[in-house]
Amino acid sequence: MCNVQKIDQVDMGQVKELVENYKNQKWSLIPLVQQLQEELGFIPPETVPVIAGALGLFPSEVQGVISFYAQLYTEPRGKNVVRVCRGTACHVRGGKTILKLVKQQLGLEEGETTEDLEYTLETVACIGVCALAPTMVVGSNVYGNMNPKKVGQLFKKDGGRHDEKP
Amino acid sequence: MQQVAITLNKRLVSGHEGMTVLELARETGIEIPTLCHEPYLKPIGACRLCLVENEASGALLASCVTPITPGMNINTASPRVIEHRKTIVRLMLASHPDSCIVCDKGNRCQLRQIAAGLGIGDTGLEKIPQPAVVTEINPYIIRDLSKCILCARCIRACQELVVEGVIDYCKRGFKAYPATFGDFPLEKSECTFCGACVAVCPTGALMEKEKPYQGTTRTSVTTTCPFCGCGCSVRLEIKDNRVVRAVPGRDMLSDRGALCVRGSYGYDFIHSADRLTTPLVRDGESLRAASWEEALHKAAEGLQRARENYGPDSLAVLGSAKCTNEENYLLQLFARKILGTNNIDNSASMYQEATRSGLGASLGFPGTTNHLGALEQSEVIMAIGTDTAVSAPQVAYAIKRAVKFKKAKLIVIDPRQTKLTAFAQIWLRPRVGTDVALLNALTKVIIDEELMDIEYVSRKTEDFNVLPLSLEKYSPEFAETITGVPADDIRQAARLYAAAAKSSIVYGSGIAGREGGAESIKALVNLAELTGNIWCRGCGIYALQRENNAQGAADIGAVPEYLPGYKRLDDTQARRKFEKRWQVNLPLKRGLSYLQVFRQAAEGKIRALFVVGENPAVSLADTELAREALSSLDFLVVQDLFLTETAKMADVVFPAASFAEKEGTFTNFEGMVGHVRKAVEPPGESLPDWTILLRLAEAMEKPLPFANLKHVMEEIEELVPHYEGYHYEEGRSGWEQRRDSCWESLNGFVRFTKADFLSEKRDTAEVPLTLIVKPSLTHFGSGERTSRSPRLRFMPPGNFLSVNAADAAELSLCSRERVKIVSAAGEAEAAVEIDMQLPPRIVSLPVSFPGIDRLFSLREKGDHSSLTLNTCNVRIERIAKNV
Repeated sequence: MCNVQKIDQVDMGQVKELVENYKNQKWSLIPLVQQLQEELGFIPPETVPVIAGALGLFPSEVQGVISFYAQLYTEPRGKNVVRVCRGTACHVRGGKTILKLVKQQLGLEEGETTEDLEYTLETVACIGVCALAPTMVVGSNVYGNMNPKKVGQLFKKDGGRHDEKP
Repeated sequence: MQQVAITLNKRLVSGHEGMTVLELARETGIEIPTLCHEPYLKPIGACRLCLVENEASGALLASCVTPITPGMNINTASPRVIEHRKTIVRLMLASHPDSCIVCDKGNRCQLRQIAAGLGIGDTGLEKIPQPAVVTEINPYIIRDLSKCILCARCIRACQELVVEGVIDYCKRGFKAYPATFGDFPLEKSECTFCGACVAVCPTGALMEKEKPYQGTTRTSVTTTCPFCGCGCSVRLEIKDNRVVRAVPGRDMLSDRGALCVRGSYGYDFIHSADRLTTPLVRDGESLRAASWEEALHKAAEGLQRARENYGPDSLAVLGSAKCTNEENYLLQLFARKILGTNNIDNSASMYQEATRSGLGASLGFPGTTNHLGALEQSEVIMAIGTDTAVSAPQVAYAIKRAVKFKKAKLIVIDPRQTKLTAFAQIWLRPRVGTDVALLNALTKVIIDEELMDIEYVSRKTEDFNVLPLSLEKYSPEFAETITGVPADDIRQAARLYAAAAKSSIVYGSGIAGREGGAESIKALVNLAELTGNIWCRGCGIYALQRENNAQGAADIGAVPEYLPGYKRLDDTQARRKFEKRWQVNLPLKRGLSYLQVFRQAAEGKIRALFVVGENPAVSLADTELAREALSSLDFLVVQDLFLTETAKMADVVFPAASFAEKEGTFTNFEGMVGHVRKAVEPPGESLPDWTILLRLAEAMEKPLPFANLKHVMEEIEELVPHYEGYHYEEGRSGWEQRRDSCWESLNGFVRFTKADFLSEKRDTAEVPLTLIVKPSLTHFGSGERTSRSPRLRFMPPGNFLSVNAADAAELSLCSRERVKIVSAAGEAEAAVEIDMQLPPRIVSLPVSFPGIDRLFSLREKGDHSSLTLNTCNVRIERIAKNV
């Protein structure tokens, strides 16, 4: 996924450098914020005036665009995004319990991110592999036929590698 | 433009290409209901109420965004259209609170009007509950999002009209709502509380918060705003002889339905408890109420006595740039005919004289050369010495619109950061007082690089030859040493300005109100002439005025050096004309200027003074001089709305009517004449200034031959050039474009004049910093009116001394530390605020800062043209802390 550092303070120099490439090009707002999100993991609100200034837009306009798209985030996101399926098939096969366990394991509510920026918890309506229900996705890996034990193993302190195929 | 014919409700009508169906329908007189449509805003087709059926294709179209095309067969009210329209309104009402009975929007609510028009009472739908979300704490605007229909009129007004862009949609779908950046309340955002969003909101979602009256008024009067020189048209809503609301008047083309915070919320002073209601006369130490007869008699006697004892030139009249043209006309007539002196002036002259001599010398006409609408057509706009967003908000809106939506390029010349600098392509920050060198260098670059409009220069101008020689030394490198602006930046700005086919220059009191102001103005006229940018569409020189009728007062002759219409006192032919009409021998001697009146009064040469609508005891930059002058007078008559500090020193005080209580006209900085209409009765016994003047003339046994205001207007029409046909009829409001004749005359020859001014090297070792007086949006003029409008006090200009970070470090000042500011004239105390945006060696104080006047001295040195009123040299001293 994205290359996230623990962000206490946004490196505004880096932001300005990025923004400079798109100066005075109104159309470039979306590619720019996408790239910014790619680099920083999210779009820190304090970068909005910088973006607005460079593109000749109002900060409120830029905020309007960012808040419109679900894929643009204004808060830091975990290195691994955990998406638990809430689709019908998963629900019938105990998806609700899986979600509850994941919440317990990570100590997160939906939409939240762990303090160490390791995990972000989200739910999805269906990921399209109902045959493997209940399912969840961590990073880019899909985990099927989930059960409480598997959930426990998944989030073991040392087992947090989700960038390789299982 | 190509004509397009369509069938509209079974009639064949035609409109021009690009017109929308809605526009054509409205032009034809067919009403289509709309909620999100607003004439000055770009249509977005959000509310869908304006849908119409194209019977040729069977399509339902939103008429506000559908251009007319040949072959269309539009039905605006087919059963299908009505059915859909009703459904849309029902859906809107289903999520709208049922609070119409208590909603202040009342009958002004367009949603309610449309629902009533369609006969929708019960929606027949289940309600979507919308909790009232009321968040604002500012005294201007209250927002209830439950009543918001997401028409985006507020958003578009903020972005497209006033170009502040404070709000935009946030989030999406059902969750969408208008929000500021960071979703902060308005008072913590960039909002200037201009009220444009409130004025366009069709429902009760945005409303005025603190208001004297709930509900809809029956009567309203469209008049002209009394504050700055923009002179916007404003509609006053009246209930029980009280102005309860001010909304954009929309009579004037350039204001486009947006005012500023002063226009929208600054009218509260009309009903201030401090208003004078009876004449006052001096009784020993104090003033007591008197009858009009007694007061007039006493005033007449006092003025007569001074005249008999010391001659007519021992008297002076200080008129006001806040009074109407008619009143100023009567005032100058009063001074010249009844008192027999040319000693008539007003405080705006201190800022305007540079314009009169600078523009007058080059153009032969001292005023703005084009409409504000034309400014928006410019390709390049140069704004110099003006914090336009504060001193003339309407002009700032126009400049920002030009930059944001018409791709104009803006060059800002100002040492201080202003709202405009964010929009500027080039921002030059010259040292204070070095404008002439900078402008001359720009001109020189244009000549040297042969960027000028040779055809224009050879056909339409005179005296070009003086220019290259006089500019010899002003190379960009030389200018850099003087101004501190890098030579390359100067070259770049000159090229940008000259390359555009249409360029405009906007200047304000930053150059007009300072030493060498007239020279700066001559220099910028040279620049405009050289590139042929004087008169045509999108070109021009815009001389901003500080007061609403500063232009009118000068046009009409309420100035010491000119008769009405800028006729010189030594112009025998003109004099004869006026003498014949007024049946009097006019005084020949040039009168004293505003400032000279005070100097001479302090020396005992002026013995009696008649002050109308001015408060020099507070507003003169050097109040000590003003007070000394006023107290050395034998006799002082003051005519004002309030018992001002000046009025307190008077022998006779006349209570005057405010702009809302009288008739007349104001001329704005563009030269447009706006009607002033009576909205309410004056309080108590107060009378309009013009009535008082006529009665005073009568009391002096030299009645002026005017039975009513109309007679005065007729005489102005007859005698004052460019006011022909400015004509005033009962019951009319609006604008007259009186300047067209001037603009046409401008199309003739213009002249190049040598502009040369380098301020003498002064010893500034003692006072190394330059203090700039910062204007304020909510403190206007001497603050007599704005301070009595409680809502304007909500946004007080922070009374801090702004200091650049480097200077603060050098003096080891910390934020909020109290320091002593010392100038050659005096000293004042203020708390420090570190301002990262100020250039080094510059500090600034707001104009409303108490005691700022002590830093200025107007006693010595020349007249208006050599005064510097908004800057002075100071040093900062730390106050030893008490341990």
